Amino acid sequence: MAEKVLFKNINDPKQLEIETCLKNGGYNILKKALSMKPEALIEEVKKSNLRGRGGAGFPTGMKWSFIPKAAPRKYLVCNADEGEPGTFKDRVIIEKDPHLLLEGIIISSYAIGAYQAYIYIRGEFVKGARILEKAISDAYKNGFLGKNILNSGYNLDVIVHRGAGAYICGEETALLESIEGKRGLPRVKPPFPAQVGLFGCPTVINNVETLAAVPAIVAKGGDWYAGIGKGKSTGTKLFSISGPVKKPGVYEVDLGYPFKNFFEEYAGGMLDGKKLKAVIPGGSSTPVLTAEEAMNVALDYESLQSAGSMLGSGAIIIIDDKTCMVDALYILVRFYHHESCGQCTPCREGSGWIEKVLHRIEKGKGVPGDVELIESVANNIMGRTLCPFGDALAMPVLSFVKKFRHEFIDHAAGKICGRAVARA
Amino acid sequence: MPRITIDNRTIDVEANTSIIKAAERVGIYIPRYCYHPSLSIVATCRMCIVEVEKAPKLMPACSTQVMDGMVVHTDTEKVKSARKEILEFLLINHPLDCPICDQAGECFLQDYYMDYGLYHSRFRQEDKIRRRKRRIIGNNLVLDNERCILCSRCVRFLQEVTKTEELTVAERGDNSEIDLREGKTVDNPYSLNLADICPVGAITSRDFRFQSRVWFLQRTNSICTGCATGCNVEAHHRNGKVYRLLPRHNGNVNGHWMCDFGRLSYKVLMSESRVTKADIRVNEGINPGNIKDVLKETIKIIEKIIKDNGADSIGVMGSANQSLENNLALAEFARKSIGTKNICMDFPFEQGIKDGILINKDPMPNSSGARLIHTANNGISIDQFFSLLKAGRIKLVIVSGNDLYFFREKLSEVLSDAPKPKIIGFMSDMSNFPWQVDCILPVPTCFEERGMFINYAGLLQKTEPAVSAKDGIKPLWELLNEASLLMGKSIELKDRSAILGKLSQTIKEINGITYEKIGEKGVKVL
Repeated sequence: MAEKVLFKNINDPKQLEIETCLKNGGYNILKKALSMKPEALIEEVKKSNLRGRGGAGFPTGMKWSFIPKAAPRKYLVCNADEGEPGTFKDRVIIEKDPHLLLEGIIISSYAIGAYQAYIYIRGEFVKGARILEKAISDAYKNGFLGKNILNSGYNLDVIVHRGAGAYICGEETALLESIEGKRGLPRVKPPFPAQVGLFGCPTVINNVETLAAVPAIVAKGGDWYAGIGKGKSTGTKLFSISGPVKKPGVYEVDLGYPFKNFFEEYAGGMLDGKKLKAVIPGGSSTPVLTAEEAMNVALDYESLQSAGSMLGSGAIIIIDDKTCMVDALYILVRFYHHESCGQCTPCREGSGWIEKVLHRIEKGKGVPGDVELIESVANNIMGRTLCPFGDALAMPVLSFVKKFRHEFIDHAAGKICGRAVARA
Repeated sequence: MPRITIDNRTIDVEANTSIIKAAERVGIYIPRYCYHPSLSIVATCRMCIVEVEKAPKLMPACSTQVMDGMVVHTDTEKVKSARKEILEFLLINHPLDCPICDQAGECFLQDYYMDYGLYHSRFRQEDKIRRRKRRIIGNNLVLDNERCILCSRCVRFLQEVTKTEELTVAERGDNSEIDLREGKTVDNPYSLNLADICPVGAITSRDFRFQSRVWFLQRTNSICTGCATGCNVEAHHRNGKVYRLLPRHNGNVNGHWMCDFGRLSYKVLMSESRVTKADIRVNEGINPGNIKDVLKETIKIIEKIIKDNGADSIGVMGSANQSLENNLALAEFARKSIGTKNICMDFPFEQGIKDGILINKDPMPNSSGARLIHTANNGISIDQFFSLLKAGRIKLVIVSGNDLYFFREKLSEVLSDAPKPKIIGFMSDMSNFPWQVDCILPVPTCFEERGMFINYAGLLQKTEPAVSAKDGIKPLWELLNEASLLMGKSIELKDRSAILGKLSQTIKEINGITYEKIGEKGVKVL
């Protein structure tokens, strides 16, 4: 296991205080970054092959280079609307090492030429928002934010914007709408935010974890970062593992780390008496893997993709053999039905429909053809929606039904398990 | 210019054109709900998705712009099944209202279901989401949330065209519904356009509701004569009754819209102030008579005044509400049959769009046209006309429209200390006419007569009769031609070709004009 990039100071209880943070090397890299040319910074990030940690895995340096240089106003937005069920990694950075994130934001804003940056934080993260506010005010006092940062002539303001509870506001264009004070509805793309983003200006939107990785890349070089990990999946990644394991939590490992080792070494394996049945590897919207598939996969973008799933946000949800898959999917679909923004037809109508059918299957009142119906509806949503939400709903449905079909068939035929009925 | 291929047809279109527009150029219609050519693109209904070669998934034709070398297929099995599936989503919570729904017959859900649907429902009836129905959302509109497919055309219209924003999408997901903003009702002057653009039966017109099935209606292309803008309309009628007016697209005039005032102007046909009979004042009372008799009596009055006071004691007032044909006939009648110089057809209305959308400052449809006839006949200005009245030199006034309503204050001031002349009115409607008339002869409304009008921007357009005039009511020009014959001084306008010839001869701007040349979209003449 290589050195920690994101979690270097995570266990120092005083890291929140700026004095300790500075003693631990906080904002050291900022000075170097501000002395570099913005293009050189973008080049470094490109070299590092850092990819977006929010779920889509888009190369960060490339995203930055799409920003038109000549535009008079540009924005950087940090997406801290961590709402994907199972994901709780950004929260740890925000609550334990906010200055690392701020340093990343300042360097990245400088690289793209933004004079204003927003942190859009999930509404429920009240503690996180307060910590960020405090950290930002300390950064202003120490000259890391505001006018003429560290005498470089560069100005930057950072604003914390709290969400109001909608999952869809994690989708980048819905997030922009929300900052602008409108309903959180995804926009039609193109134009992409790099052309027309926040308040109509070119905008880069990066995940918390992505931005937090930037200082280390600037400090040690893109080549160093690219040397960590496996193939095109470079660097380290935070994985938040939850479910009936001995040590659920957030862990930083190199990309490409085998799931089996991660599961056993870090999470400590299953709780006693429980048996692994399935793994959702990248947050609730990524296709589920059976225990066997999971044990043979490595934790990186390509390996998970070839296993038929996705790295997503790195939120590993462990499902044990006592869990009813119909019940589990019903809970997921209920969530997606509730969170659909309602703009476009397939997602608005399809999410409710699947939930209704699942509900009757769950209650043992399914009718022949219901399992096929769910699959067909999910297929009709897939790839037809305005934003990725539709796929995020369809993928778990299709994978659950495909891989645990017998459970759905049994349920539909009235052979239901006791636990589920109570909830349904 | 990008060159693209749509269903094996290759065309060059300007950059930034959407696929849906490019397809229309080659005559390919792509089904749509949320897309409207005059509103912003939201790409939410997903009905217009088409296959674009090399694209990983189906692309919405409304929001995808053409690129050079793009190959689009709108008719493949993949596209057809996608349309069917989107339609299925839209219909699962849609009520089975068609038998009682006004939209039936012009409903995009019905039409596309016949084109692409035709499946058995896989949705359980009892699972349908019930919503509020029959909500009065303004003086002219009813909203049925259950029928709504959330295309948001209405919301965008109110945001982008009228900028009044009375409606919004409330709630989220499949709880979303169109709702009034707090404390608002949709009562702006363009509200009825919502009933047009709603592709389903969610927003319907209270005026047209339950009046007629749309497939029974016949359509006549005409123009609105409610103001100087001259919006293009379609009159929908059956058995001699007009049921509604709809805006007809004309990019040079009204785009896709029209105002509520103009749209409801067809009600003049049934209004109480409508002139349907010829009347003549004898002693104290008004006595109805048949048109021919009253016309004869009227001529006697005219002839008596000519004899007693000379022809110039008769003032003839044209109307900015009347067509070019009728104003021409009136001017001819004044000069040839009566022999007066005192002709006034120039009404100094200020012109121009009043509200930034469609409504004109000039309340009359043909001020520009009337002025042309006026000039050709060396008419006198309205101020001169009033001073003649004041001086008592005019003993008889002939009017052909309601124009004096807009000069009523001046008129009553003038008449307060002058002898009141006699008045002959060739009128279709008497509402608001500020003067007591001695002879009334009915003429058709703009819905009953073909006529040329020149709008504020100098565009020559025409009305077409949607219904025929009742009880032998003849157009003004025909009546005047008859009168001139009775007087033995013919104006020689026995038919429309004579009028067109005379118009060509009199007014150089419209030399050689025919109704065919005007066509459906009008011709610019000024």
